[in-house]
Amino acid sequence: MDSLFAKADAIRPVSKRRKTDKDDRRSKPSGSKQTEGGHDKTLNSVAHHTALPPSLRPSSPPPEGVKKYNHIANPKLRTQLTRQSNLAARQKALLKDAELLLTEDAGMIEVEGELEKTWRVSQSEVTQAAGQEAAKGRKEWVLDGGPYRSRYTRNGRHLAIVGKKGHVATFDWQTGTMHSELQLGETCRDITFLHDHSHYAVAQKKYVFIYDRDGVELHRLKSHIEPTRLEFLPYHWLLASVGNSGWLKYQDTSTGKVVTEHRTKLGACTTMAQNQHNAVIHLGHQNGTVTLWTPNLPHPAVRLLAHLGPVVGLSVDPSTGGRYMATSGQDGSVKVWDCRNWKGAVREWKTRGGGAELEWSQKGVLAVATGGSVNTYAKPAIQASFTGSVQPPLYLTHPIPHRPLVSVRFCPFQDILTVGHAAGLSSILVPGAGEPNFDSTEADPFENKRARREREVKTLLDKIQPDAITLDPEFVGSLAPEPKLTTAVNDKTDLTFARLPRLERLRVSGKADETEDGADAGAAEGSDGEAQPARTSKAEKEKKKMRGKNKSLKRYLRKQRKNVIDPKAVAVREKLEKQRAERKKAIAIARGEAEPRKPSALDRFRRPT
Amino acid sequence: MVKISVLQHAPSSHLPSRPGDPTPTSRNLDPLMHPFAKARERTRALNAAKIERIFAKPFVAALEGHLEAVETMSRRPESLTAIASGSWDGGLVVHDIAERTHLMRVNDAHKGKVTGVCFADEHRLLSCGVDRNVKLWDTREVDENGAGPSEARKPLSIFPGKTAFNSIDHHRSDPVFATASTIVQVWDETKSAPISNLTFPTSTETISAVKFNLAESSVLASIGSDRTFTLYDIRTGKAERRVVMQMRSNALSWSPTFPTSVLLASEDHNLYTFDVRNLSNPSHIYKGHVAAVTSCDWSPTGLEFVSGGWDRTVRIWKEGVGTQPEVYHTKRMQRVTSTLFSADARFVLSGSDDGNLRIWKAKASEKLGIVTTRERAAIEYRDSLREKWKFDPEVGKISRTRHVPKPVHKASQLKRTMLDARRVKEERRRKHTRAGDSKPKAERKRVVVAEQS
Repeated sequence: MDSLFAKADAIRPVSKRRKTDKDDRRSKPSGSKQTEGGHDKTLNSVAHHTALPPSLRPSSPPPEGVKKYNHIANPKLRTQLTRQSNLAARQKALLKDAELLLTEDAGMIEVEGELEKTWRVSQSEVTQAAGQEAAKGRKEWVLDGGPYRSRYTRNGRHLAIVGKKGHVATFDWQTGTMHSELQLGETCRDITFLHDHSHYAVAQKKYVFIYDRDGVELHRLKSHIEPTRLEFLPYHWLLASVGNSGWLKYQDTSTGKVVTEHRTKLGACTTMAQNQHNAVIHLGHQNGTVTLWTPNLPHPAVRLLAHLGPVVGLSVDPSTGGRYMATSGQDGSVKVWDCRNWKGAVREWKTRGGGAELEWSQKGVLAVATGGSVNTYAKPAIQASFTGSVQPPLYLTHPIPHRPLVSVRFCPFQDILTVGHAAGLSSILVPGAGEPNFDSTEADPFENKRARREREVKTLLDKIQPDAITLDPEFVGSLAPEPKLTTAVNDKTDLTFARLPRLERLRVSGKADETEDGADAGAAEGSDGEAQPARTSKAEKEKKKMRGKNKSLKRYLRKQRKNVIDPKAVAVREKLEKQRAERKKAIAIARGEAEPRKPSALDRFRRPT
Repeated sequence: MVKISVLQHAPSSHLPSRPGDPTPTSRNLDPLMHPFAKARERTRALNAAKIERIFAKPFVAALEGHLEAVETMSRRPESLTAIASGSWDGGLVVHDIAERTHLMRVNDAHKGKVTGVCFADEHRLLSCGVDRNVKLWDTREVDENGAGPSEARKPLSIFPGKTAFNSIDHHRSDPVFATASTIVQVWDETKSAPISNLTFPTSTETISAVKFNLAESSVLASIGSDRTFTLYDIRTGKAERRVVMQMRSNALSWSPTFPTSVLLASEDHNLYTFDVRNLSNPSHIYKGHVAAVTSCDWSPTGLEFVSGGWDRTVRIWKEGVGTQPEVYHTKRMQRVTSTLFSADARFVLSGSDDGNLRIWKAKASEKLGIVTTRERAAIEYRDSLREKWKFDPEVGKISRTRHVPKPVHKASQLKRTMLDARRVKEERRRKHTRAGDSKPKAERKRVVVAEQS
């Protein structure tokens, strides 16, 4: 029997390590001989099955600044969490290394000295300086049939154009291959490609129509009536349209079902943009409001009075993860908004020539088409907060005499800006507008037929459900908030322990992980450094609590629920904070680290504290 | 002088250099280039969970050959395919589970039921029965007498006993085997009488199963009708320890990788693992069956084990995970009387009351047959996705939920209600007694009634 135990100790089950380790060393120094022999069958079999695969083996010590989980009592869980955060930190480091593999350089214009201005550079100069391939991007399409709108595919390879009078064409602009050309003979207001260039949707006089690559009409979407603007959400396979009736409609293009219809109640709408990072639809209305819509909310997620007068242009910045939005009003004002905080515009200025079309490029260049010219603005200046309505420093400008300019589109992964106007379309070069390094799994300008088909299937499999669209796209996979409902009254329940919900059972037995809560309380109670032992039950804490030392306020605060903003509690908290600061200052003065404040004559006007 | 450069993709680096070459791909890991990465990954995890459940077809085959319940099974050492089984009708079959054929078949090996089979070595098989005999058989295709697989065979030798035998197990290396009847007897293959009798002093029980330890092969464990679990050492010829539990055990199995760990299948619907160094409480409780557990067997890796129960289900457990086992059942499978892991740990065998021996996959959704590298990579990716997203309510629910027959479902519901009620009642009783009078006792501490040595 002893030999059996000795054999077991030689292997040492992980959970029992601590106990057996000591026994082993004390009583049987010869016990380790068995393992040295290397012929222990059992050990070998275990080693094979318990070995960590090489890909998961830590090649280096864990990276620094990794979150520690010392407060978690359960060793299994603690190990798992530590491993996870180590893995995440390593991944982050590796991600940084992978930046070395980005080979292509973004375009740019560099000036020497103060006197040179980038906006003085004309298109002919840019074209001359550009390489042979890049110079092909500068184009003029002279077309009849009214002001033209355009749209690129997500990989920037194909272009769809639509004229007001019904001329529709889709083509590969690089090779010049025409896919389809239609004369629809009725008013067409917008066009958009669906998931790739194999399908496109046109907002026509009465309905939205879907055509395939060869221009064959596939569907007439009868529920979208008098559409004015179209947007396609590629990761959700949703075609969103808004029309003269003021209804925003979402149609799932993979199943063909109408997902939701929202009545905006704000009249005809001709301005629409999508935020590529959270798939929220932004609408600009006649009364100057901008509304943000998701399919699962019957009302706008955000409603914002952006302009006095109709909103005519809208765009969301893709280079900052959809953090900034630009709007333009009929009166010619352009405003940049911070989408995290809607308190007033970050920057605003006036343009000449009335309502401006806006578009933000992948790298954060903002194009504003007003009157007879297109202006572009580069990144740090337009997003920096600035009071006063001065135009930000201009990056490039290009005059186009064919008014009105109705659409501006940047070509993804190229330094090209396509402007649609009354006489057709013109493409200009804007160095530094396009993302130089594309990712083949997302959008590849050079993909072949097989890759396109494969990607179509893959994206269909990865289709996100429409109700997952929210303002914060990171909510997926995050922790659910703690339920606020509780059966406890003054921390006491009349339920038996066995009937309590799990969290409360843990709390009663003192096993709930309330460390964050505790840290919060510690901050509120002051930096006196009352380092509580990690795990004391609530009753024990209450028992050991110091009494009669003017802690009624603190007790009051503790009993206030943390997540309820009660003005009284806030005031009390502030007061405590102030008192603590004063105490600290007094101590500093006593030590001679700070100087006492000299009384001044103006003190009589100070508000009594 | 203004310096201007315009972005330009060199076609030479993005297009195949020769026709037929694959198109080069490029990667940019900037998170801004991959919007909704998390949401898309969740969708993929959800699909992975669904795919896993769609492909979960664990049943492989049913092997016939017995007329009544398959009482006992044993696998041949050093062989992946040969399995011996004994039945209530007295029949003895050695199956080839790969070919699904019989290597040997003896219809009347014993009078009455065959209670235990085990291989003595590569070719010889020991069986015992209620007819008070232990018989040694040669399992080779054509034995020395020229008898084929289906003909009536004669045993190589017969070891007569005094009482009906309940179980038999062979020593790992020595020509010694142990049998269980009212006492544990150790036999030498060359002698017709037992060389030693092992029994715990003052014990009057019937021993229902006996097993040699796999690493320390002279240690022997048995379970008996007095709700006991006993450890013996055949070198000292004594019973070393004994544990009396709340309910009797029906089967036991030594862990192949942790020599001190032993698994007991108990009548109280649970399985217990004990560390024999500390017999005062089980090291783990495995809860899931809704009727008595009748059989259990460790996987050769020691990471999983299989159990069969009176509730007509086979369950596969992970070592150290006490709940939510994999559940296998079919309409035609009756009470499971014996279970066995295959030697490559990929398959599970179950013998049941209906006289069939069933082969199941140990991993329900595993693909049998050739798996290409790409397929393997995809499977592994799906597995890791499921693991990563298992706390997502939807993904977790899909991968956790198992359809069980209605009686089993109802029984588990009823059982849960009863256990809850009992727990609540105990709480209330405690609430209304003097504080500290009756302290709650952990379930682990309640299993063992007495420890004797």
